[in-house]
Amino acid sequence: MSTNPRPVAVVATSLTPAYTAFEGPEAALVMTCVNELLESTGLRREELEFTIAGSCDYLGGTPFSFVMNLEGVGAWPPVYESHVEMDGAWALSEAWLRLQCGDVDTALVVGSGRASSGRPREVFALQTDPYTMAPLGADPVSLAGLQARALLDSGKATEADFAAAAARALPATSGVSIEELLKADYWCDPLRAHDVAAPADGAAALILVAGDRARELPGEPVWLTGMDHRIESHHLGLRDLTDSPSARLAAKGAGAHDGPVDIAELMVVHSPEETILRTALGLGGETVINPSGGPLAGNPVMATGLARVVEVVRRIAAGEARRGLAHASSGPCLQQNLVAVLEGEH
Amino acid sequence: MPQPGTGLPPMRTVLEYPYTRTTGPVMGAFLTGIRDGRLLGGRIGERVVCPPLEYEPGTGAPAGLDLVDLGPGGTVSSWTWVREPTATHPFRHPFAFALIVPDGASSGFPHVVDAGSPERMSTGMRVTARFKEQRRGSITDLWFVPEEDGARAAPPVEGGDPVTLAEQPVSLTYVEPYHPHRVRFLNGLLEGVITGQRSPVTGKVYVPGRGYDHLERTLMTEEHDVAVSGRGSVSSFTEITPVQYHGQKETEPYIRASILLDGSDSPITGVDIRTIPLSEFRVGLRLRAVWRPAGERDVSAFDNRSTGGWEGVIERWEPTGEPDADSRALEEHAF
Amino acid sequence: MARPCAVVGIGQTDYRRRLEVSLEGLVRWAALEALEDAGLTFADIDAVVIGKAPDLLEGVMMPELSLADALGAVGKPIHRVHTAGSVGAATAISGVTMVESGRYDRVLVVCYEKQSEGNATWALSGGKSGGQGAGGTFAPWIRSYIRRSGAPEHIGWQVAVKDRRNALRNPHAHLRIPDISVEKVKESPMLWEPLHFLESCPSSDGAAAVVLASEDVARKGPAKPAWVVAHAKRSEYASFPGRDPVRPRAGVECAEALYRKAGVTDPLRQIDCAELYVPFSWYEPMWLEGHLLAAPGEGWKLTDSGATELGGSFPVNPSGGVLSSNPIGASGLVRCLEAARQVRGTAGEHQVEGAKVALGHAYGGAAQYFAMWLVSSELQPAFA
Repeated sequence: MSTNPRPVAVVATSLTPAYTAFEGPEAALVMTCVNELLESTGLRREELEFTIAGSCDYLGGTPFSFVMNLEGVGAWPPVYESHVEMDGAWALSEAWLRLQCGDVDTALVVGSGRASSGRPREVFALQTDPYTMAPLGADPVSLAGLQARALLDSGKATEADFAAAAARALPATSGVSIEELLKADYWCDPLRAHDVAAPADGAAALILVAGDRARELPGEPVWLTGMDHRIESHHLGLRDLTDSPSARLAAKGAGAHDGPVDIAELMVVHSPEETILRTALGLGGETVINPSGGPLAGNPVMATGLARVVEVVRRIAAGEARRGLAHASSGPCLQQNLVAVLEGEH
Repeated sequence: MPQPGTGLPPMRTVLEYPYTRTTGPVMGAFLTGIRDGRLLGGRIGERVVCPPLEYEPGTGAPAGLDLVDLGPGGTVSSWTWVREPTATHPFRHPFAFALIVPDGASSGFPHVVDAGSPERMSTGMRVTARFKEQRRGSITDLWFVPEEDGARAAPPVEGGDPVTLAEQPVSLTYVEPYHPHRVRFLNGLLEGVITGQRSPVTGKVYVPGRGYDHLERTLMTEEHDVAVSGRGSVSSFTEITPVQYHGQKETEPYIRASILLDGSDSPITGVDIRTIPLSEFRVGLRLRAVWRPAGERDVSAFDNRSTGGWEGVIERWEPTGEPDADSRALEEHAF
Repeated sequence: MARPCAVVGIGQTDYRRRLEVSLEGLVRWAALEALEDAGLTFADIDAVVIGKAPDLLEGVMMPELSLADALGAVGKPIHRVHTAGSVGAATAISGVTMVESGRYDRVLVVCYEKQSEGNATWALSGGKSGGQGAGGTFAPWIRSYIRRSGAPEHIGWQVAVKDRRNALRNPHAHLRIPDISVEKVKESPMLWEPLHFLESCPSSDGAAAVVLASEDVARKGPAKPAWVVAHAKRSEYASFPGRDPVRPRAGVECAEALYRKAGVTDPLRQIDCAELYVPFSWYEPMWLEGHLLAAPGEGWKLTDSGATELGGSFPVNPSGGVLSSNPIGASGLVRCLEAARQVRGTAGEHQVEGAKVALGHAYGGAAQYFAMWLVSSELQPAFA
């Protein structure tokens, strides 16, 4: 495997609000993002040589949801395009690899979802083993509860740690203390409602440009210096739920520790995951975690991971950080993890 | 419950299908064991895993079938107390999901514990399997209780052939408000008006509007709404010979058509035709809508996509008797 | 620049109803066969890509999660492609990209569908009554093609017979109709005018897999590689004013991009055979024209002449094609791997003699998603 990837930069980002229930089609969310990207870069749709989106049929309950979304992505004249049935962060991974090949210099990456029409706990139970888990309705919140309990039992975290992660997602003005959060009733013990990100509707998108072309466009390019993603066993009994070896491998593969990590946006959908990810990703006190509030503050399902990348890029472009890490996950109990490493121009 | 200000209830979709899963030899043996009141694991190298696997965990290398009886007792290695069960959980009352290591196994698997209250749950606690009286060989044929509630032998079931098929009924309910442009379109239909949207860029009229012009990448709003004619030309059709599947209500062949309404640039689709013989139906045929009486119009079969539902508001489409439209020119509207 | 990529291992299940295996067993069958062909084990694989049609077909959401262990993916990257009917070819191309990027040396690509677990018409209609099925969508365009090209009605029957005869030479094929004939096809029930039952694809179970590798790995492998000399994808909207759904521009541009990349200037002559995604008989002449293998209006003449038969000058679907086996999400990968088998010379009874360059193709949605690859027995075939 080569160790020196072709320089590729994020040159523009777009992120819709995380809507409790968006009044309109998912394609309109996507179109809004894509139009914003084109406007901010001055690029024409046809100039984006490769397009890839991430979305999910089951989330909104319609097969081929990406076919409708294509109307927002833009596909006339015809486009060179693909789709992953995964969070948009994995679409970014394929786009980054595509640009590594050298014959394509620009890419549009989209993630989108409408979680508001279904009951996500019931829907996402269908992610689990179809013979032994899905029939029990094994839902992501309950399974996160198992992970949380394992963390408490191991002594690696306390309920106050969970609350601290949840508190970070609250607006600074809320004035809610960790102590107050700990007084709330349990929902899936030891999880409380505030420990669980509420699924939302939304979209995220960005434009990737390879090499010097990135510098010719307006704005500050933010370089995507490395990316990797890894999966671990689906069988929870075979895993140490208090650790995330797949996140550790992804961080290594992405070169996360080839330099200091100023900020990290982690896809913490259940607050205990922050403890696990901090350790597995090797993030110490020098790294600001989830300055955006993270998914607990806004969880546009299928765009949540790509939104982490957008949040890191924006902070680097604004000069708030020099180097950052974006993380995305998929599957129960952090089964699959992705890491992207981003660096500013200077 | 109608949406505020629209008079329309939100649309509700139930995705329901009874999936039938072939089990293969290993999962089949596990489920056969459950049917027979036994909990089986698989020996793979030094480990005994439950449920048994077709392969070595970690490497994916093939594993032989070496079954081991486990339980019925076991130890909880982690748990969570589910205070608000979902519709797909095995219990309607609060219960625990737990990782349970059955006696004789080297690792645990997730299942449910019916303990009554979270105070009775703890890591390391002992549980025992309870089997339903009626069992067909499903993971939901058993559950666990605290061991202090007493071990109970599995009620015998009539022996039978090995389980080779696992049924998994899946039913998911989706409820969402109609999109704003759909609300205006549907309210128009209730009043006997077909509403489209005129692109501010090209002037092309899309019926129904989608809230955007995808060719020009422009969002469209109420100001772009236009009423279009209830007359048009068949742009495309197909005769459907219904195949039977779960939820299928159609039994007889019928025509499904797309109609380019006069003054519009995109056809309405999913129009079912049941009163014009196939032999007389053709691309270019001129039709007009015969509306149902105002009080009898029902838009509940429309969803948030573009296709179908017309039969709720339009009783039938009848030939106008005008000369046919040019079928070649309609080809671009063949959808 | 992109590194060369080769197919070094191929595996596939039989495509009948697979009632004796689990989902895991099904995908492992194909994966293990591909690994064995490549002389590798799961441990040698750097990354896994899976593809299939909508999750609603089996009722398993994001199956890369529950299949990760069975595919030996633990500790590795795995991702899932979904691009409607073109997905099998799109997944193959996604895997090729991974090798070409220089980041991965051995990538396992697995596609599958187990239609017997659910019902495709139910799933494609989103669980609603009155689903029109894929044939209902394509039939009007087929009628337009017939009108536009002046093709005689027997062309569709002829393709149906040819592909089923080819299937008799392919032990993996689902439909095996030894006494297939034009009479039998035209007497079979009319499903969607003008498509008869025997002009339509079956509902199949099955999995297909390929191992893709970098040049170094390919040259060291035990089996002859099939080099991926070019690949292309194009998509367009399902409907819009001005669309030509019979000869979609995305299909034309996809073919143009593919041939340009490979240096092909006269595809009908320079390519030896093709596995085209033909789920309904008429799509053979339609894609011959739609992918620049024949001029508009000439595709049916090529079919009529017998050129597309096994033994003809440009065999199409020597494996029996989608008309004989349709594990939906895998069907595109089957086209791609059958093209690879041809140029490796390992296609058995349906081998096209001397095939050096072959086309694998898939399309999907409302004939709006296209994915194609061109494979060759040579790394850099010279096209004269």
